[in-house]
Amino acid sequence: MTTTIEVISRGLGTGSIYALLALGFVIIYRATRVISFAQPALMLAGAVLVTYLVGPLGFYAAVVAGALGTALLALVAERVAVRPMLGRPVFTIAIITIGLDVVIRVIAIAFIGTDLPQVGDPWGLNTVNILGATVEQRHIAMVVITAALVAALFLFLRYTRIGLAMRAASFDQEAAMAQGVSVGAVFAVSWAIAGGLAAIGGVFAASGGAGVGGTMWIIALVALPVIILGGLDSLVGALVAGLFVGIVQSAVAQFQQYFPSWVGPNVAAISPYVLMMIALLVRPYGFFGTREVERV
Amino acid sequence: MQRIKKVAAVSAAVVLLGGLAACRGSEGEGTTEEGIKTDFGVTEEPCPDAVNPDNGCIYLGILSDLTVGPFSPLAPAIVEAQKAFWKRVNEQGGIAGYDVDVSTYIRDNKYDAQTTVEVYQEIKPNILALAQTLGSDTTAAILDDLKASNIVAAPAAWSSAYAFEDIILESGANYCVETMNAIDFAKGAKPEISSIMSVHYPGDYGDDAAGGAQYAAEQLGLSFTSVVTGTGVENQAGAVSQILTERPDLIIITTGPREMAAIVGGVYAQAQTTGYTPMVIGTSPTWHRDLLGSPVAQALQLAYFQSGPWGPWDSDTPGHRAMREALGEPETITDGYTAGWVWSYPIKAALEKAAENGDLTRAGVFAAAKSLTSVDYEGMLPAGAGNFAAGPSGQVKATIISKPDPESSTGVTPVTDLMVGPTAQGFTLTEPCYEMLH
Amino acid sequence: MSSMVKGRPLLYTSYEAEMALLNTRTKRVWFGILLVIGAALPFLLTDATLQTFSRAMITAVGVIGLGLLTGYAGQVSLGHAFFIGLGAYTAAVLGGDPEGRRLGFGITELWIWLPAAGAVAALAGLLVAPLAVRLRGLYLAIVTLGLVFVGGHFFNEWRDATGGPGIGRSMPAPTLFGYELGANDSLFTRDQKLYWLMFAVLVVFGLAARNIARSRVGRAFTAIRDRDVAAGVMGVNLTRYKATAFAVSSFYAGCCGALLYVVPGFLAPNGVFNLEVSVLFIAMLLIGGIGTISGAILGAFFITFLPTVTRLIPDVVPFISASPTEFPNVFILEQVLYGTLVIIFLIFEPRGLFGIWLRLRNYWKTWPFSY
Repeated sequence: MTTTIEVISRGLGTGSIYALLALGFVIIYRATRVISFAQPALMLAGAVLVTYLVGPLGFYAAVVAGALGTALLALVAERVAVRPMLGRPVFTIAIITIGLDVVIRVIAIAFIGTDLPQVGDPWGLNTVNILGATVEQRHIAMVVITAALVAALFLFLRYTRIGLAMRAASFDQEAAMAQGVSVGAVFAVSWAIAGGLAAIGGVFAASGGAGVGGTMWIIALVALPVIILGGLDSLVGALVAGLFVGIVQSAVAQFQQYFPSWVGPNVAAISPYVLMMIALLVRPYGFFGTREVERV
Repeated sequence: MQRIKKVAAVSAAVVLLGGLAACRGSEGEGTTEEGIKTDFGVTEEPCPDAVNPDNGCIYLGILSDLTVGPFSPLAPAIVEAQKAFWKRVNEQGGIAGYDVDVSTYIRDNKYDAQTTVEVYQEIKPNILALAQTLGSDTTAAILDDLKASNIVAAPAAWSSAYAFEDIILESGANYCVETMNAIDFAKGAKPEISSIMSVHYPGDYGDDAAGGAQYAAEQLGLSFTSVVTGTGVENQAGAVSQILTERPDLIIITTGPREMAAIVGGVYAQAQTTGYTPMVIGTSPTWHRDLLGSPVAQALQLAYFQSGPWGPWDSDTPGHRAMREALGEPETITDGYTAGWVWSYPIKAALEKAAENGDLTRAGVFAAAKSLTSVDYEGMLPAGAGNFAAGPSGQVKATIISKPDPESSTGVTPVTDLMVGPTAQGFTLTEPCYEMLH
Repeated sequence: MSSMVKGRPLLYTSYEAEMALLNTRTKRVWFGILLVIGAALPFLLTDATLQTFSRAMITAVGVIGLGLLTGYAGQVSLGHAFFIGLGAYTAAVLGGDPEGRRLGFGITELWIWLPAAGAVAALAGLLVAPLAVRLRGLYLAIVTLGLVFVGGHFFNEWRDATGGPGIGRSMPAPTLFGYELGANDSLFTRDQKLYWLMFAVLVVFGLAARNIARSRVGRAFTAIRDRDVAAGVMGVNLTRYKATAFAVSSFYAGCCGALLYVVPGFLAPNGVFNLEVSVLFIAMLLIGGIGTISGAILGAFFITFLPTVTRLIPDVVPFISASPTEFPNVFILEQVLYGTLVIIFLIFEPRGLFGIWLRLRNYWKTWPFSY
């Protein structure tokens, strides 16, 4: 029982990182129909920014400022590199986002330099005792904060004008433009939100003493199977699938030692992809995605 | 119109081809100066920004991971230290009337074997030897060419495989022997240790240490488990869960610093409920000074020891003092500087011996390197180190054990001198240690 | 075979003449010139440059394969790196030393292990096909990406075959009926011989791809790309042709992988066959010009030579430091330039290098009336 609680709490913690990143991917996809491969770099850039700000500002203010800063960076990137490319094949834009990823990542790594910067989170390695299981405080904090952010996002999309514009544009871009929605603004806001979410995800990934390192961006790639599982255009799917993948990964890691040796160690690292492939055999559009209707 | 166009096209092609034909020049020069034979990488003109403008120039290459690979945080420090080392050599007059330049042929190998081959081929015609080559598979990719061309190289690694390659001038005890010494130290400090677990990266870095740990465990009658883990903080959960299940008394960690912090953090987060506080010894690449500012600091200060091939930055030896003087006050002090400094001594010794023999060709430098029975490390390694003539049996076996210390520049302070434990003393290297792992 | 009417070069008098591979005299002449120059280069260039050319040519084979799959058949695949790796390891295992530490069968004859590498990769491609047929667009792309990760994991783990990360293994020495292509001999250096090998392979595979493209299979591919539902309605067997596309492109990838690592002679698995490699191939395809074979070759050459060019640029830019500890420095600039050039290229020339070539050619053709 205690093991189960520990596995689930760890899974929910890492799952919330995946969920945040997946939400970013999905928001951009819904608006522009493009997968932005620049999210890993934005995650890294956000975490690095927070490490610089946490000294003067304290943790929470630094996270907010860092998220805003990364949102700004995402906006600039979108304006400069992605906006001129609209109307081009989706594929070309995806490659451009990969180019962006390389550029932003190399510069962020240069800012890390030879240090191992910490994000200064207040939870550190502290644990609480829940029903006899030792649960890390930071995992609980991550889930709570993610839930709050998602709730805020849903409220934003539901009750604000720009949120309405975003929902309209994701439904049918042309009709939205005909109704006077500024699709350019929608794109910009989508990228900015995705950037902010990625930054917070990066801070979570660097919490608990892990620090910010150049290889952190690989975590963000797990968000790709997550969005497939959840459905490329479903926000709910991103959240649920993110948490689910986190729990599965945590369980696989826990029982790693009982697997036969030919599977190799560290199967937990590829378990999201295997999960994705199995799920796709059953539901090709993800569990929450809209089934594409193809007209001849 | 058609004819004019055709004529223009053909003449352009001819000019282009003619220009290209000049490219495939003959390879290899052979200049002689004052009776010292030279071939590649040695010129009579002074180095760019030369310390001694009357000296000629010896060019050494550096292939390191400078931007995107896993060692990119450390590698620039290694390069800086090497530049400072050779600047000091030049200030002392250079070698036999030549300054040594390591700055012109620095290339980023991105920790990738293909890129290494590319950049190596680029700088190869202009260098006498390699002052640094970082990465084991990257070095392995060019090893055959190095041997065929007699280009001596100092590796930025401590793999036991290098003992068997004459062309590679390694310094310091390899991971295998280092781990044996670490286990001897641990057993001395805590005789009740009965089980060891080695948590390591796959590949020759981690497997080398694990091989040594397994050998030591067998010699000392301790139980041993080997756990392979991957890079990335999020991939340590499997290792942590296995540690918590098996509860070894001693954990030997051979990963990177963030991964080590994640493992120690994961284990010690449970310490209050489980009461399980194992001793942890990590090889030098597992340490970073900034870890003392992280939440794991308390656990590290309690349980962590570091094994290393030489003393950290603050140590008091003539070599360390010279290094501190040459490098001044770098913004972030890491033992990457120490490593780069120490790794340069064998190349210096080889060049000096070759110059003495009057043969600064690549073959001459190689022959001189092979004939070295000792290298003067200015106290940073024990006397008798650098015995390349003796091959695998001449390998240094000494290790220093350090503890985290917030007062020191790099975050660790030695708790032993350079020591050789009984296990390592009795060990003979017959094959690379990572092959011994079963 | 071409027109018999003098001065009317574009007048075709038969269907075969129009559909021929080299249907105009200009094309025949240029093809001949390219062959001659290509064969003559080893006498003109240094070995280091020849190595880069060899790599560019064999990479072009891989890109052509991807071009058939993604450019002609419209199936987005990010899994190319996996098939390349599979081909490389098959070759290494087949040609490896039986006495050595790694798995090896000692078959160094090129004409055995090269097709075998391609065949194994093609088989893997066929196995993937049923999953791929059900998906399209980005879903397909991400699933193929999953292949790369899972495959990469097994490459890392299967130490007997691959040597494991950080250790690796050597590639087989290519011998052709006993003649050693991988070593210097009295006549030619290793790099020269390997160059000719890659050149021959490129010509053969390129022509084969061209032929596939203009055959019935190629027409089915383009129909699937344009509107696969419509193609299905018209009678194109979607499953069969999508599977064929995957198999053929994987065959090319396997052969590319097998030969690509013969140039340095060594292969280590850690992170070599990963997302970045797949993306690199897609970038080569897009930059060269998607949907054409020549475009694929141009793209491969451009990207393979790009690092060499970006290494030269920082020398002429003044405020960039040469020291790796300062910021900015040449090494970061190199990386940034790489990403930026890819972006700029795609923004400003969406038809890729082939589009630039078309523009040049039309300008030249219509000069002095090129307005």
